[in-house]
Amino acid sequence: MKSLEKFAPSHPQKTRILPRTKRWGWWLLLGIATVFSFVQIAGDGRRLINSGGWTLFWRFWRAALRPDLTSEFLEITLQAVGVTLSYAAFGTFLALAVGFAGGIVLSERWWEGVENHYRGRGRQKGFEFRMARTLLRVLLAVPRGIHELIWGLILLNILGLDPLTAVLAIAIPFGAITAKVFAELLDETVPAAFLTLINSGTRPGSALFYTLVPQTITDLLAYGFYRFECAVRSAAVLGIIGAGGLGYQILLSLQSLRYNQLWTLFFALCLLSGAIDLWSGLVRQQMRDGKAEKSSSGGGVGKKGSRLGISLWAAAALIPWSFYFLQPQLSLLWSPRTSMLIGQIGRESFPPRLPDGGVMVLFDLAGQTLAMSVMAALLAAAIGIFFSVPAARLSITLSGYPQALSQPVFVVSRIILLFMRAIPAPIWALVLLFILFPGILPGAIALALYNGGVLGRLMAEVNENQDLRPLLALQTHGASWGQVVFYGIFPAGWLRYLAYALYRWEIAIRATVIVGLVGAGGLGRLLTQQVSAFDYRRLPFTLLFYIGLTLIVDLMSGWVRRMMR
Amino acid sequence: MAPAFKLHQVSVEYSGFPALNDISLTIHRGERIALVGPSGAGKTTLLHLLNGLLQPTSGTVEILGDRLPNLSISQRRSVHRQIGTIYQQFHLVGNLRVIHNVNAGQLGRWSLAKSLLSLIWPQQVDQAQSALAKVGIPEKLLTRTDQLSGGQQQRVAIARVLVQDPAVILADEPIASLDPERSRQIMRLLADLAQTLHKTLVVSVHEIEYAMAHCDRLIGLREGKIVFDQRPERIQPSAINALYAL
Repeated sequence: MKSLEKFAPSHPQKTRILPRTKRWGWWLLLGIATVFSFVQIAGDGRRLINSGGWTLFWRFWRAALRPDLTSEFLEITLQAVGVTLSYAAFGTFLALAVGFAGGIVLSERWWEGVENHYRGRGRQKGFEFRMARTLLRVLLAVPRGIHELIWGLILLNILGLDPLTAVLAIAIPFGAITAKVFAELLDETVPAAFLTLINSGTRPGSALFYTLVPQTITDLLAYGFYRFECAVRSAAVLGIIGAGGLGYQILLSLQSLRYNQLWTLFFALCLLSGAIDLWSGLVRQQMRDGKAEKSSSGGGVGKKGSRLGISLWAAAALIPWSFYFLQPQLSLLWSPRTSMLIGQIGRESFPPRLPDGGVMVLFDLAGQTLAMSVMAALLAAAIGIFFSVPAARLSITLSGYPQALSQPVFVVSRIILLFMRAIPAPIWALVLLFILFPGILPGAIALALYNGGVLGRLMAEVNENQDLRPLLALQTHGASWGQVVFYGIFPAGWLRYLAYALYRWEIAIRATVIVGLVGAGGLGRLLTQQVSAFDYRRLPFTLLFYIGLTLIVDLMSGWVRRMMR
Repeated sequence: MAPAFKLHQVSVEYSGFPALNDISLTIHRGERIALVGPSGAGKTTLLHLLNGLLQPTSGTVEILGDRLPNLSISQRRSVHRQIGTIYQQFHLVGNLRVIHNVNAGQLGRWSLAKSLLSLIWPQQVDQAQSALAKVGIPEKLLTRTDQLSGGQQQRVAIARVLVQDPAVILADEPIASLDPERSRQIMRLLADLAQTLHKTLVVSVHEIEYAMAHCDRLIGLREGKIVFDQRPERIQPSAINALYAL
């Protein structure tokens, strides 16, 4: 099969087969979830569509053709880009630092090393060490479970409108996630080198930096670049709560109905986010290639390595620059006022109290939030599947597909997807509020647009990596390109589409909080209201429900994904 | 009627490396032809020329009297419809049920709407069922294809070609991954099908005895050239030794 070999997938995927009965169960579940979310959205008989808003809605879209390009506004835009970029860069840097330290103390391997080291000296500390690790795990789960927007709102109450608020709001949850990921990286590494050093009497700290750290640092950095992509989006969202940057300017332009300015900012955000995605993608690709090269030929870094070096130096230079650009007031961190405010929040939130209307209100809102996330995930999956073929660069030409069109269709699809995921979900929600009444529907659609943008790209990548030989076989049987899509591409990819869609569902349930900010219903709205109103006494129960709900969704999604594998 | 295939001074190069060198060949309708020769001789390349997956670097290929580059897309599809290929690695879609992989042979005739409907509510089940019966696995109609063994998947690939009902059946080492008993069965199946349904059959095989037993013309390929082109009974053992000599 010489001539067909180039179409073979680089990573063949094995799928386990699901018994048919279980499959029925899964379709039933999907049906129930869909009906449930529709009932939640449309059930209470409120009007959904605001027909009076169409004029504004069209004015908004028409302005896309005439962005405000006066030098005065471009300067404002550039400044805002700088702020958003700095938040993201500095926040990611702190998150990596926290994640590095946290990852080590969370990893099983580290404690194994410590235990071995002291056992050799006749001391038994195993139990205490294990306790410490478990305790840290639990402690770090809390910052991870709270969305960066909630952190932003809480920090806003403590630190005020200082850049530190945005930077820490990114650094705290991202740091906790990075710690978990780094711990997993450390534990997946072959421990032989580390334990050899330990057993020959080296202190655990030195052994770590001579073995496990160099073994995992590339993966950690690659993950850091991925986090940086996420941080740019978070930084834009944080702007909406007043932290400055692109999100803030977008909100100002939207509220003062200056749509031409709004589009300038949109385009800037797309460019920034697209450039960071591209850069991060290239860096991670090069790191993977570098690793593969090293393991196959044992050296020869060459041209690619030097380009990678430039990227890393550029990233390193970005950190002091963003510090200089933001001029955060570090002294706020140890000022007496800060510790007083933190103490006050602690006192005020105890003993916690249920919201007016009692626990049923929380259940009701949790139901709405769940419905919003289900609807968002379903719509996002539909958007993603719709774009998954036009946005894929397949290495075969589908017969009968107009070839002259394939390149422009590819470029346009990718731009639409980039646009959908570059605009923060709360901004989408605000735009939708022109034509929809506030509630969970605009929230769900806003989350679907954002997540659909992400899913479209991921699903297109699935299609790009497919085994193309069955598709060619279909063509030689005379199938048209549409038939190849439905008999070849979709059946082969759908399990992974599903896995990605479920994963986005987990993200959507967390993100309900950010559309809650602009009045979309559910727990998110209550949460943001309570934080903004300094209502710390009622906050803990709401947070508990919200975190509980995200955990339930994680469990369900994980369960379905395992079942499908 | 035009011959099934007519190749005139055909050469194929893969990035400078010659895979086929100045081949001229006519295959008539109804012939049962075996392509034999060592690995890398160009058998697969030749088959890909015949089903239009490849275009020659130089020379001309006529398929059922037509040259593919001269045809419009819809004409090309109707030529493809007349040629059924069975691939060495089957190239079935693993997580579709057998019925859909068999019905993929119908796609050249079906509209998009009908092919979509069939994914939910299988169409022309009887035809698929009888094709599966002919290849000996009628009970596997609703099984997921990746649950089948290699030999069973090969049968599904053959059933797909039966449903397609082409004028020509091409098979690329259809028995390479099977044990001797199943190899014999599959070869007999292909040869019988070709004979009873009056199809042209071109099959590439490593094992020369199967080729001799089931085909009426053998073409020996070595290093991209035709070494012999004979009826099986007229081939000298020395020619075979020379074909496979290291």
